Amino acid sequence: MLSIDHGPDGAVVAAGRLDAAQAHAAQAFLDRTTGVVTLDCRALEYISSAGLGVLLKTHKRLLGSGGKLRLTGVGPHLKDIFTYSGFDQLFEIG
Amino acid sequence: MKGVPKRSRLSTQDLETLLGVTSALAAPFDLMTMLGAVVDAAKQVLKADRGSVWLHEPSTDELVLLIATGIAPVRVHSGAGLVGACARERAVINVPDCYADARFDPAVDRATGYKTRCMLTLPLIDHHDRLVGVMQVLNKAGGVFDADDEQLATALAAQCAVALQRVRMTEQLIEGEKMRQALEMARVVQMSTLPSSMPSVDGYEVACTFRPAELTGGDTYDVALIEPGLLIVLGDATGHGIAPALTVTQMQAMLRMAFRLGADLDRAYVQVNNRLAETLADDRFVTAFIGLLDPRTHALRFHSGGQGPIFHFRAADGAFERYKPTSFPLGAMPLASARPSVTLALAPGDLLVLLSDGFYEQLDASGNEFGEHRVEALVRERHRDGAEAVRAAILAAVDAHAGATPQADDMTAVILRRAGLGMSRTFARDFASIDAMVSYSAEAFDRLGIDPTLLAAIDFVVEELFTNMVKYAKGSTREVRMDVVAIGGGVEVTLTDHDVEPFDVTRAPDVDVGAPVEARRPGGLGLHLIRRMVDAIEYRYSDATRESRTTFRKTAATAPHDGAGTATGG
Repeated sequence: MLSIDHGPDGAVVAAGRLDAAQAHAAQAFLDRTTGVVTLDCRALEYISSAGLGVLLKTHKRLLGSGGKLRLTGVGPHLKDIFTYSGFDQLFEIG
Repeated sequence: MKGVPKRSRLSTQDLETLLGVTSALAAPFDLMTMLGAVVDAAKQVLKADRGSVWLHEPSTDELVLLIATGIAPVRVHSGAGLVGACARERAVINVPDCYADARFDPAVDRATGYKTRCMLTLPLIDHHDRLVGVMQVLNKAGGVFDADDEQLATALAAQCAVALQRVRMTEQLIEGEKMRQALEMARVVQMSTLPSSMPSVDGYEVACTFRPAELTGGDTYDVALIEPGLLIVLGDATGHGIAPALTVTQMQAMLRMAFRLGADLDRAYVQVNNRLAETLADDRFVTAFIGLLDPRTHALRFHSGGQGPIFHFRAADGAFERYKPTSFPLGAMPLASARPSVTLALAPGDLLVLLSDGFYEQLDASGNEFGEHRVEALVRERHRDGAEAVRAAILAAVDAHAGATPQADDMTAVILRRAGLGMSRTFARDFASIDAMVSYSAEAFDRLGIDPTLLAAIDFVVEELFTNMVKYAKGSTREVRMDVVAIGGGVEVTLTDHDVEPFDVTRAPDVDVGAPVEARRPGGLGLHLIRRMVDAIEYRYSDATRESRTTFRKTAATAPHDGAGTATGG
């Protein structure tokens, strides 16, 4: 399961698994974001290629209006996925 | 169920009428005809002037009024108006005077010019208690709908619900079949672009596999001799279905075209990336390894857009090197210029192992992934047997791992091996063969260009091992084979003893060389020493062939060596 919502500091907090089954819900949520969006990944356990697609689509849309998608709290497991997919070269990861 | 009819029995005449109209519901095959038949039946049985059927869509919880093919359907949320109330409560609603009922929406009347007087709204519920839709009949001839009509309508509604559900399911099956055929076509296109045979390149062997998942994934591979060298591609487009299958096909065709038009690796990569970035949907991308091998210099230069892990097995030291992608996946973003490519040098006996994630992520019955460590272990164990043997071993292992768990994604493998430069000869099982073995190793070192400073150590080890074989495997009359292979910076020698019991030299007890002379026993010292004279020593035994294989390596880089050996197999 995935939960995705705004945290107290305005960041988008995703928790659980962002896989193909959850990609639609995550996309629907992220489609409503604007500007520079921070995605807090501390509680994100897993991301699949469908999940990467959601982040990519959101990032491209935000870039188009001067914003972007930043990722924070990326744990070692996710970090591996970002590195091995080359996504670390597309996103600002903190 | 609510709305139970007040009378418990239908008259014989009513039943005949009902049976007459509902038998007509057995025929229609498509939804629009069936909707028409249902409305006609209701009009006839209930003596109504007009009728309509709203279908329930569970995915959106909407009720949909199909007017005619080609005209946009009317949609209301199940909860709005009389139709919604009927769907929600699953009960017949009989409104004798519509304009006096707040739930009635006169908009349709206004639009059509029709005047709705009275209306009977009834839920269509199938045998499995699923809401199929809502039927409405309007304006009973000569009056309003009464309790008898409600009862008749309820009986009719059950028949209509089942008939409608049958047609909807049939249509879904037909849709499914169309989808299946489309997937099959995409698969044919995808398969047709795979190379039909492997190019032959001196000093190299390559083995490939493409094993599609049932629902098409987006894998592809390509191995082709082109002007700048041997092109090696392994790609995986995101998602499942027709689109990714066609996307990778397109990528593969664009790559070949770019090279045919004279593009170098960097330009081809950037062009294909940018072309895909233009055409792919925003959340789509292709991970791909695109490499070019120069078979003369043995340099393999590659870009990898998000495709990994990329494994380089080095025969010389048994290292399993893992390379990261050089860039993000193809099509994710346009690239102004290529990121730096990576070049790796393939030494004799080295392997490049590219597998799509369908392998690594294949689950077993307990939900464990096949993983990288199994691949690594298999490559270590089988690399000497060639690319094809490694490919077959990985496939067999992933099958054994999966068991009855279905294959979820395409599995694609490209395994490239640079031939080990080697020579081989057999020798009679006799101490007298030692001279011949020593002169053969010198000849092999010379012909294969192996560092001659390593020869003395190799001869020592060969002699010790061979002596052991002659002394302890008396039952065998077969000759002993010696393979000498040049590896990066050194040599690898394998002695194979046939028709013998296992004897693992790597596990022979160590000798305490520091012990006082009175505590020392004869024997065992030779094995103790050889473990310290080589970089690595491995032992494998095959029960099937009763074959003992002892392989050891020595390289100049690690020449003075006093480490212990390792054993594999057993």
